[in-house]
Amino acid sequence: MSEFNIKKPVVPLPDMDPEPQIPEDELFFTEEELEQIERYKEKYPTNRSAVMPALWMAQQKFGFLPPEVMQLVADALDLPYAHVFGAATFYTQYYKEKKGTYVLDVCCSFSCQACGSYDVLDYLEEKLGIHAGETTEDGRFTIQEVECLGSCGTAPMLQVTNGPYVHNLTEEKLDQLIEDLRNDKMPPFTSVTLPQDEDEMEGNRRSDVEHTDTYQTPPETKRWI
Amino acid sequence: MPTITIDGQTIEVSGDKPLLQECLNQGVELPHFCYHPAMSAPANCRQCMVEVGTPLRDRETGEIKTDANGDPEIQWLPKLQTSCTVQVSDGMVVKTHRTSEKAKRGQRDTMEFLLINHPLDCPICDQAGKCPLQIQSYKYGSEGSRFEFRKVHKPKRVKLGPRVMLDAERCINCTRCTRFTDEVSGSCQLTINQRGVKNYPITGPGETFDDAYSMNTIDICPVGALTSTESRFKARAWEMSRTPSITTINAKGSNCYYMVRDNLIMEVVPRQNIEVNEYWLPDEERVGWAYERFNDERPEHGPEIRVDDELTPVSWDRATDAASNALSSVSSDAVFFLGSAHATVEDNYLLSRIAEHVGAEAPKYIPHVEPGHGDDWLRTDDRTPNAQGCERLGIHPVDAEVLRSRVRSGEIKVLYVLEDDPVASGLFTAEELEDVVVVMHYYNTTNKTLAATDVALPAAMVVETIGTYVNEEGRAQRVRPAKVIKEVNRTLMMATGKSRTDMHGTPFDRWHNESHQVDCLPGWEILPKVAAHLGLEFEFSGPKAIMLEVTEQNPAFHGATYEAMGLQGHRLEDVGETV
Ligand code: SF4
Ligand code: FES
Ligand code: FES
Repeated sequence: MSEFNIKKPVVPLPDMDPEPQIPEDELFFTEEELEQIERYKEKYPTNRSAVMPALWMAQQKFGFLPPEVMQLVADALDLPYAHVFGAATFYTQYYKEKKGTYVLDVCCSFSCQACGSYDVLDYLEEKLGIHAGETTEDGRFTIQEVECLGSCGTAPMLQVTNGPYVHNLTEEKLDQLIEDLRNDKMPPFTSVTLPQDEDEMEGNRRSDVEHTDTYQTPPETKRWI
Repeated sequence: MPTITIDGQTIEVSGDKPLLQECLNQGVELPHFCYHPAMSAPANCRQCMVEVGTPLRDRETGEIKTDANGDPEIQWLPKLQTSCTVQVSDGMVVKTHRTSEKAKRGQRDTMEFLLINHPLDCPICDQAGKCPLQIQSYKYGSEGSRFEFRKVHKPKRVKLGPRVMLDAERCINCTRCTRFTDEVSGSCQLTINQRGVKNYPITGPGETFDDAYSMNTIDICPVGALTSTESRFKARAWEMSRTPSITTINAKGSNCYYMVRDNLIMEVVPRQNIEVNEYWLPDEERVGWAYERFNDERPEHGPEIRVDDELTPVSWDRATDAASNALSSVSSDAVFFLGSAHATVEDNYLLSRIAEHVGAEAPKYIPHVEPGHGDDWLRTDDRTPNAQGCERLGIHPVDAEVLRSRVRSGEIKVLYVLEDDPVASGLFTAEELEDVVVVMHYYNTTNKTLAATDVALPAAMVVETIGTYVNEEGRAQRVRPAKVIKEVNRTLMMATGKSRTDMHGTPFDRWHNESHQVDCLPGWEILPKVAAHLGLEFEFSGPKAIMLEVTEQNPAFHGATYEAMGLQGHRLEDVGETV
């Protein structure tokens, strides 16, 4: 949405008179989708809580959530439009505008920041020639500055398009990641545990994932800070 | 009722309110922003921190443990608590910033956080001088800030709707405004956009904040983030006088303050009255015409009489003389008195007395009912403030058809109109009144009946007079003069509101001046003058005495003395159809 960053902390106003971006004849939920929304509603005491899965579903369908889609979700859930807008803008995981194929969500909350996430951000910005919040011209990459993703133990880290996390970032890891993504190779989902835990549990406890990793304090030279 | 100890003082509390409210009710001030008694408490400003402890109970016996002195042992909650979400319990012990260093420190540090990205533009902010954030940071904040970095900038002029402007930088995200639309007005038009340092309240894109009660968010915003598109940047808080009164655009009688500078009504803001309007005012009371009628559309000259078909300014004596001459020049059944649901009880009462004196039939009033305008809350179908007062005085709605035919047939030769506009109300056309002598007390130069009026008497409006109005629910309420009129009357002067600079300023630093004084008089001054020429001497010392007589003689007003009405009004007994 913006080039909001520590050097230029300016919060823009959303477009308050937006042009619709989804063609009118595509702007609807199918019977099945509406049934699914009904099931979400039943799951929660109030419809207000069902806004999360419903928005998620809409994002899967339309790719992003322009105002008219938020209105569609609001109508389906019988909720005020403003409530849906508030929820959608709170989470960086909901895309309010069209993003690149790969969205690099760089965590810039406290732990990651302390471990150099702004250097990660700078490195990526320079490498891809865009600012956080922007998308490359070829439509392949978007960089976002996001809040804590709950993986502070592996800081600095980023998430790729609401999917797998990439942990303990270094320049090399970022280079590899971009290279892989250029070839449409997504990083694997990686479960990271602490060595002492692995000793106790005789190995990584996640037996259901292909890729596991053991946390190691990175060597001094490779660290961002 | 539970007993709690605050800073060593033991007090009894109601027990059904949060600790913060109980403290405020007891006069124990605690800093706070997000809590509002009419809404849920999200505890997001974190400013109302106190230390809270409860008596320790023995696990086995359930008895309260006591120390060596026999005092109950207190178990302190390890962290500071937000008093707005603490439910009081019997024996609770509370330490506020007055006795607890920890609480004091907590409040000071919270304040430092709240101010990190605040623009500190108090010198140009409309809220300055009445701003909870400003006041509380003087009282509880630290002197400086350790935040030495670039502040986050947010949109500074966002027109949320036709009446409300947002300065997002000033917002502390207390969510009072969004909760107001969710919980009180029900329009659900506002939400908090984004998160963290980037958040601020806004409507959904493409939506307009046009809630019929939107301007209340301006009043409850604890900072200057929300301002009125109409009155922003017009007057500073301390330049204005603040007169407690009621609003008169409908029959609800919502309690308000009229804010005045230089004899102009700058703002109308709600005044708390739980029985009537709680904390709120509808927007219709404070936009456009609500101000124009007080400020712009007032007569430039004093009283006028028609000479050679032109309204010509004359003295009050000549004008009232002309009014009484008109009344005495024809037989009593050729005179018709129109009372007014815009005028006070006192004025309508005097008019009835005059009608009785000249032997005419009892006055009638023109109803101004607009079906569908009301909303069962603070807007009513009735667009006048005193229809109930008229009814209780025995002044009933006029039968338009009958009156019109009596005027057409020439039966009525003199029409005496109190503070209304029969032509604009569609009762007559100005032509139909050509052969009738019209005496009229009027407010505004836009009054359509002026074209047919022979004696035009500018009347003091609700903001200039003293008197009583009875709202739809039968609550009698007083109005007080907020601004000065030309013919300054001592009774009015003593009741007129003063601004800080009126009271404390020297002539050199006064902003106020003597301009914008209208040459008008309250009905209770005009009517006795007219009556005197007719041989009816009213010996009232002022409106208070008139009201006293009304309460004594008319059971429908039983008990509604000025003392009883005070600032919150007096609920009258219900009356049957016939009064
Ligand atoms: S605009 Fe005012 S009332 Fe609304 S959240 Fe901000 S500070 Fe609170
Ligand atoms: S701070 Fe980055 S994951 Fe928590
Ligand atoms: S008033 Fe208690 S947290 Fe805001």
